[in-house]
Amino acid sequence: MKVKVLFFGVLAEVTGSDCKYYNEVRSLGDLRLRIQDDFPEIVHYSYRISLNNVILDNEPLLNDGDELALMPPFAGG
Amino acid sequence: MGIDFLTDGPIKEDVISFYFEKMNKRTDTGGHSIFLGQVRADEISGKKVIAIEYSAYEGMVKTEGDKIKETILLEFTDVRSVDIVHSTGVVRAGEISLFVLVSAGHRQQAIQACTRAVEMIKEALPVWKKEIFNDKSHSWRQNH
Repeated sequence: MKVKVLFFGVLAEVTGSDCKYYNEVRSLGDLRLRIQDDFPEIVHYSYRISLNNVILDNEPLLNDGDELALMPPFAGG
Repeated sequence: MGIDFLTDGPIKEDVISFYFEKMNKRTDTGGHSIFLGQVRADEISGKKVIAIEYSAYEGMVKTEGDKIKETILLEFTDVRSVDIVHSTGVVRAGEISLFVLVSAGHRQQAIQACTRAVEMIKEALPVWKKEIFNDKSHSWRQNH
């Protein structure tokens, strides 16, 4: 399946991009590894992942067209 | 004028005026509490913050912002409405980046709920801030 991955805050700077599409993603675990392969530095940062605007607290199945976001700790206000 | 959670650049007087007008039109409230968040010119390791550049996950700001409002209305039964406006983009030191207005039947809950809403915004709103220093370097900040 094809998914869209958004990078926010410092992660947009680390990856040099705020959005990247991944094709033929098998699972969230697979996607994580591919992101780490593309951007090895990302392992030094803490972040949470959201799926279609909801922060993940488990490992859900992904669907074609899903939007995921890698989000460092929030800093509003 | 319609304002919903995010506005580009600093929050200006027109936002305050807009909500002030709104307040004047209602008769079900007896107390309003407003919080304004401002960009501080902190000095860090000899460098001075001249601005903050905010970025936000717009789709999720709407979801989380609505959740904050719903939670406040559930927790504080005297509260009639909650309005939140947060800046995106560059906001210079001294300018306003966050506006929160809580309207209630009476003052106590207006004040308490406003404090709670600000804490929830800091904790749950997907917004990031990049401090820009006077030497043009920058640093990513996070809330504690």
